[in-house]
Amino acid sequence: MSQAPEIIQVDLPAHEPSPPLPPPSSPWLGRERLAGLSLIGLGLFALYAGADLPFGGEGGVGSGLLPRSLSIILIVLGLVQIAITWKDRPESTGRWPIRDMLPVLTGVFLFAITIRGHHFGSFEVPALGMAVATPLAIFLSGLAAKDVRIGELLVFTVILTVVCVALFRYALGLSLPVAPWLIGY
Amino acid sequence: MMAVIEHLGLGLSVAATLQNIFFCFIGCLIGTLVGVLPGVGPVATISILLPVTLSLDPTGALIMLAGIYYGAQYGGSTTAILVNIPGEATAVVTAIDGHEMAKKGQAGLALGLAAIGSFIAGTVATVVIAALATPMTRLGLLFGPAEYFSLMIMGLVLAVVLAHGSLVKALAMIVAGVLLSCVGADMETGRERMTFDIYMLTDGIEFTVLAMGIFGFGEIFKNLADPEKRDVMRNKIGRLLPTLGELRENLGAILRGTGLGSILGVLPGNGAILAPFASYALEKRLSDRPQDFGTGVPQAVSGPESANNSGAQTSFIPLLTLGIPPNAVMALMVGAMMIQGIVPGPQVIQNSPDLFWGLVASMWIGNLMLVVINLPLIGLWVKLLKVPYRLLFPAIVAFCCIGLFSISNDGAQVIMAGVMGLVGFALYKLQFEPAPLALGFVLGRLLEEKLRQALIISDGGMSTFVTSPLSAALLLVALMALAVAVLPSMRKSRDEIFTDA
Repeated sequence: MSQAPEIIQVDLPAHEPSPPLPPPSSPWLGRERLAGLSLIGLGLFALYAGADLPFGGEGGVGSGLLPRSLSIILIVLGLVQIAITWKDRPESTGRWPIRDMLPVLTGVFLFAITIRGHHFGSFEVPALGMAVATPLAIFLSGLAAKDVRIGELLVFTVILTVVCVALFRYALGLSLPVAPWLIGY
Repeated sequence: MMAVIEHLGLGLSVAATLQNIFFCFIGCLIGTLVGVLPGVGPVATISILLPVTLSLDPTGALIMLAGIYYGAQYGGSTTAILVNIPGEATAVVTAIDGHEMAKKGQAGLALGLAAIGSFIAGTVATVVIAALATPMTRLGLLFGPAEYFSLMIMGLVLAVVLAHGSLVKALAMIVAGVLLSCVGADMETGRERMTFDIYMLTDGIEFTVLAMGIFGFGEIFKNLADPEKRDVMRNKIGRLLPTLGELRENLGAILRGTGLGSILGVLPGNGAILAPFASYALEKRLSDRPQDFGTGVPQAVSGPESANNSGAQTSFIPLLTLGIPPNAVMALMVGAMMIQGIVPGPQVIQNSPDLFWGLVASMWIGNLMLVVINLPLIGLWVKLLKVPYRLLFPAIVAFCCIGLFSISNDGAQVIMAGVMGLVGFALYKLQFEPAPLALGFVLGRLLEEKLRQALIISDGGMSTFVTSPLSAALLLVALMALAVAVLPSMRKSRDEIFTDA
């Protein structure tokens, strides 16, 4: 058994505990009721999406049997959910910081369209490969952190891109495009 | 008994080859790594590595993936004890008393007990799997489509009963999961269902896309919105090895935890997730000083840690013997087996005994390695915890993107996973558990297939599910479990198990 370190100092950002949330403006925006509404919404949407499917078929099970029954069960469960939490004090769902997530989503989107190229009507994104797609994804998602340090992120992006290419393409042998515009694959 | 030893011997001869020991080691190492790092779980990791396994031989691939899964259970406890963040969902319980022990300067003792408990649990679970494999396989061979259908219904019901929080919400997640699995071309007729002619939906939603979206990207969105409070731990770790006296005091808890985990893990509805909670509740009830629980009681660490490790291992039983994955990780194992041309089910043990017993024996070897990886190297893992989240999550994003792209070779799937991440975030905000959704999704297609086959055999008569005694018994168990769960008195004690912890 080797020596355990004497003292550990884990340097992690300590976050302030968030203040208690104010109740939602309408009881329908409370978490539990919103959950019920989402179930009903999903059920109705699935009913609409699968409206063209035949209920019966050979052996009694048509393409539509399972989807439609499940949609109806989902709607019923949504109603039950609203009913059993009717008298509860509505609790807020807190922040929905979609704007903080946008850098991550943009990074993922750009990765998806640049790695092997994509057509948008007449506009064409060339196949840029991992050499471009990976740093885009890393750098843009990194911007989403509240405590982002640009210099550090840039260095990290370069290092991690090299590691990813070396690991996935060369060490693990996956056939991923690296930089078709430069080295042909 | 002799047969069990013989089988384990065969397994050891397969697992102890240099190549397989290497894969086992890599799996355990990666598993510990993702277990230690909060925000990356075994589900996302195995999804990323799935395309890599294509070039490996089947036994090595499965040994490695299994190592990631139980290795993550080990690693999760390290983060739970030292930083009070459960690195894995199953380490939630460990964090309660484990971190209190760390504050008292007993971090080493907590880590040591967790590792020793996990090792004992892993050893027992390996024997349990070996002993149950043959009878369970025989049972599996008796199953026709109707029995399989009922078994899956029972699994799904048990998943609802054993899930955290609201029963209605868990049930809704299962139903939504099965519904999502219906999207795409109907297996029987080829007819497109609920696709709106969107080309990336025609083949249905890939499970890896769903898993990486909800468990990979969704986790990141969740952490960006509500950063977890991280408790800085500045105490000494202290000695790692418990004294004989401490070991004796904890042996009961370890063995009880192991037993609970082994039993719950076998259930086809992800019982393993309940195991640490149940063990905590049991230890608290048996303790002379239950009021001390929550202030750093060693038994509250060793028991649950043993339970989650043995549960993780025995959850391979339903997959390997019946072909029914009991949780999301096992569903990915199905994927890994299918890539290699192996259909999971009772025939595996007969057709490829090397693979089956090799995998089982590798779990014991892996557990031995994990003790070595975890205890002496603890300083290394602590250093890893210093990697700030602002750098960790861009790396996770990159790995997920590359993993998704290499599976499908299609950028659209990457975008779909991003959308799934938003869905995962909404689920978190509305306090829906994603685990039952994943399970419903996984079993959905199999469920419909078996329903169809059963009804074709019976000429459309629904009574086939109750006239077969086996199927009827399974449905009865499901019905009883559900009835018991909605009974007010049982609901209360079920809630107690979770809130106790």
